[in-house]
Amino acid sequence: MKKHRMTRTALVLMVLFFGICFASGYFSSAQADEFSGPRQLFIEGNIAYKENNYAEAAAKYEKILRDGYVNANLYYNLANSYFKKGQLGEALLNYERAKLFMPSDSDVKSNEEYVRSLLQLSGPQTSGNWFDRSVDRLFAGFNVDRLSILVSVFYIVILAVFALGLVFAGLRKYSRPLAVILVVFLILSFTGLQRKIGYIRHGAIVIIREAEVKFEPLETATLYFRLSEGNSVDVLEKTRGWYKIKRPDGKIGWIRDSALEMISG
Amino acid sequence: MKKNIGLRNTIIFLILMAAFLSGGVLCFAKDINFEVTVDRAVVSVGETLQLNLTFEGTQDIPSLGLPAIEGFQARYLGPSTRMSVINGKVSTSITHIYTLLTTKIGTFTIGSFNFAYNGDAYVSNSVSVQVVTAQAQPDERQPQAQQELQAKDLSDRIFVVLEAGKRKIYLNETVPLKIKLYINSLGIKDIQYPLISHEGIALDETEQPRQYREAINGIDYDVIEFRTHVFGLRPGEFKLGPASIACQLIVKKEGGGRPPPGLDDLFNSHIFEDFFGGYQTYPLNPQSVEIPVTVLPLPQQDKPQDFNGAVGNFDMEAGVSPGEVKVGDPVTLKVVIKGEGNFNTVTMPKISADNNFKVYQPQVKQEAGGKVFEQIIMSTSTAVKEIPAISFSFFDVKAGVYRTLTKGPFALKVLKPEKEEESKIIEAVGPGASGPAIQEKLGRDIVYIKDSIGKINRKGEFLYENIYFLLFQIFPLLLFLLFFGLHTRTQKLKTDVRYARLLKAPGKAREGIRKARGYLTQGKTKEFYDTVFQTLQEYLGDKFHLPSRSITISVIDDTLKEKSLPENVLTALREIFSDCDMARFSVSERNLQDMEGTLKGLEETIDYFQRNKLS
Repeated sequence: MKKHRMTRTALVLMVLFFGICFASGYFSSAQADEFSGPRQLFIEGNIAYKENNYAEAAAKYEKILRDGYVNANLYYNLANSYFKKGQLGEALLNYERAKLFMPSDSDVKSNEEYVRSLLQLSGPQTSGNWFDRSVDRLFAGFNVDRLSILVSVFYIVILAVFALGLVFAGLRKYSRPLAVILVVFLILSFTGLQRKIGYIRHGAIVIIREAEVKFEPLETATLYFRLSEGNSVDVLEKTRGWYKIKRPDGKIGWIRDSALEMISG
Repeated sequence: MKKNIGLRNTIIFLILMAAFLSGGVLCFAKDINFEVTVDRAVVSVGETLQLNLTFEGTQDIPSLGLPAIEGFQARYLGPSTRMSVINGKVSTSITHIYTLLTTKIGTFTIGSFNFAYNGDAYVSNSVSVQVVTAQAQPDERQPQAQQELQAKDLSDRIFVVLEAGKRKIYLNETVPLKIKLYINSLGIKDIQYPLISHEGIALDETEQPRQYREAINGIDYDVIEFRTHVFGLRPGEFKLGPASIACQLIVKKEGGGRPPPGLDDLFNSHIFEDFFGGYQTYPLNPQSVEIPVTVLPLPQQDKPQDFNGAVGNFDMEAGVSPGEVKVGDPVTLKVVIKGEGNFNTVTMPKISADNNFKVYQPQVKQEAGGKVFEQIIMSTSTAVKEIPAISFSFFDVKAGVYRTLTKGPFALKVLKPEKEEESKIIEAVGPGASGPAIQEKLGRDIVYIKDSIGKINRKGEFLYENIYFLLFQIFPLLLFLLFFGLHTRTQKLKTDVRYARLLKAPGKAREGIRKARGYLTQGKTKEFYDTVFQTLQEYLGDKFHLPSRSITISVIDDTLKEKSLPENVLTALREIFSDCDMARFSVSERNLQDMEGTLKGLEETIDYFQRNKLS
C-alpha cells in the first residue's frame, strides 16, 4: 500500500517538473513578439553608426537598454559607438558587458584589447587570491548562463552516480572516486559562478579621465589614491553620491558616483 | 464632622470642574475685560519689552494677529491661563504674551486694540512706552573700549551693505560682490549666508566670510563680510539685491519681564533666568538696498571667428606629451588657461584635425586660478610631423578689445608600428616565381559593428536568477531522496526479519479478522475460532518476534507482563485464548453473540497494540 503511495508521489513530482519545463518554454515562445521594438531600434542605431553619426547610434542603443533589454551584440555596438565618440572608459565598460554574454568572441576581445592599449592599461584586472584567479582563468570561456548549466549538470550527475552506487553494489568501487572527482569539479565551477555573479553585481569601471579616491565620502577628505579611465574596481557600498570601492590590490576608498559605472548598469 | 468636610470639598471640586470645563463661556461671556499691559514703560532702543493682552473672565480667546505697531517688531510667545477662587467666587483669565523689540527712539502708544470673536467685540485700553537712547552698559561680551552709537533706530546699529565692483559690466564679465553686515554694540549669533535677489545676473558660490572692524563717521562697527562674484547673463538693465542676512539678536531680559503668575511662572523663575544668563534671542533679517547694474553687450566689431564668449584677461600654456609615438598610440595635448575672468565661458581651443588625426573629447578640470584641458589625439599615419597650432580668443574688458592667444604647432614624431603589429601580405606565387613579398603597412582600429542583434534577453534575466531554473534544481534532489528512502526500506525488509515481521503484522491481522468475520456470517464456529486463534497467535508472534505456533496463554503472560500491559488488555487476551480453546477442544456450543464478542475483543486488542506501538 505504502509502496503505491510513494510511486504516486514520484509520478506527481515528475508531472510537475515536466509541467514547469513546458510552461517556461511556452512563455518564452509567447514573448518572442515583444522583441520587435528593440530589433528595429538596433537597426536604426546601425544605420546611424554607418553614417558616422556615433552620438545618435549610441542614443539608439542606450534606448534599447533603458527599455530593459540586453544582448551581447548590442553592448558591442554601443561600445564601438563610444569608442568613436572618444569615450574610451564607456567603450571599455560596454565591451566588458558584452563579454558577460559572449566571453570568447574574437571581435570583443580584439576591441577590448585595443581600448586597453589606448588607455595604457595592462590586462583585465581581477581581485582575489591565486585560487580565485585560477578559477577565473579556468572558466574564462564560459558566460554566466553556461556556467550555471555546468554547475547544474555536475550536481545532477553526482546524485545519479550516488543512486547507481546504491542499486549496483558492483559499481561502488568506481562510483565513489568518480563522485569525489565530480564534487571537486562542482566546487570549482560553483566558485567560478560565484565570481562571475560577484563581478556582475559589484564590478564597476572608471569612466572619467582621472578620478580621485578619498579616505572619506567628503569633498574635503584627504586624497588616498587616483584611478584612471578604464580601471576596474569592486563597489562595496553605496551612499548618497559616493561609492565605497576596492581596488584589485585591496585598497579601499571612497569615490564620487559620477566617476564610475557599474557593470550591471 | 469629617464626613461633612469631605462632602463639602467634593461639592467645591465639582463646581470648580464644571466652571473649568465650561471655560467660563456660558457664565462669564458677558463680563469679559480686555486689558493691555507692558512690563516697562521706559526701554532702550534695541532692547525688548513684554506686551500682555489679558482677557479677564474667559479662557477661550485665541491669540490675536497683532497689527504693525510703530517703533516695534512683535513676536508672539504664547498664552498663559489663570483661574482663582476667592470667597467662593471663581475668576478666570487668559493672557497672550508678545515680545516687542524696540527699533526707534521716541514715545509710542500701544493700542488700543479692537478684537472681535464669536460675534462679541472687545476693545482694550492703550499704554504708552518711551524708547530712549541705548545706554552704555558694561558687558563682558562687548569690548569695553567700543564706542557706543547714540542711535535713534535699530537699523543704525545693524544693517547690510551691498557693494559691487562695477555697476556697468560687459556680458559674461565677472565682477566681485561684497555683502557686509555691520553691527554696533549688539549681541548677534547664528548669522546665515546672505540671500540675494539677482534676476538676469549669475552668482558664484559665496566664499567663507571674513570678520573685521571698520569705523564709519567715528563709530566702530564689527563687520562680517561675504564675498562672491557675479556676471551678466544677458544685456539689459537689472537690479542686484536686496541682500538679506538672517541672524538672531541676543537681548538681555529685564526684571519684571515675566508673565502673570501661573504654571508658566515656574519656568520663568529667577532660578532658570540666572542659570541661562537671562538672555533671549530675537530673529532679525536686515536687508540692504538694491543696486542697479547695466549689462552691456559685447562689441561685434573685430570679433574673432573662434571667440566662444570668454571674457576677462587670460594667458594660455599648451604642450604635447609624449613627443614621439607609434601610429595609433595616443598623444595628450594639455592646455592650461589661467588668469582673471569668467571661467564658465572658457572652452577648449579647437584643433583643426585632418585625416591623419583622430581627436577625442577633452577632459576638463577646474583648478584654482585656471582651467585645464587634456585632449587625446591619435595619429593614424607616419606622415604626421606636428600637431597644428591652437588659438584661444577672449574679450579684454580693461582694454575693451578682443585678443587672441596662439600656441603651437607642436612637433610630433610618429613612428611606424612594431613588426608584429604589421600585417604581411604575401602574394600567391606560382612555381618557380621568386618575386619579392609585398609588405603592406596597416594601422590599427576597432573591429566593425555587428549587423544582427541575435537573441535578446530581458535585463537581469540570467539563469541563476530564473525561478524555473532554480526550481529545476530541487527536483533531482527530491527524486534522489525518494529513491534513497525506497531503497533503504527495501534493503531493511530483506535483511531485518524482525522489522519485516513487525511491518507485516497489521496487514496479516486485518486479513485474519476479515476471514473470521466471513466465518461468523456463515455460522462456521470451528473455522471461526481456528481463524481467530491463528490470527492472534501470528499477530503476537510477529509483533514480539516469537515463534507463532508456540504462543499460548502462559507465554503471553510471561512475555507481556514485562511490557507492563494494563490488566484489562491481558484479561481480554486471556479470554480470547480461553474462548478459542473451549470452542476448539470442548463440546460446549458457542452462540453467535459469543463469537461476535470474541471478534470484537480481537479487534480491540489488535487496535490497542497498534495504537500504542508495542513491540
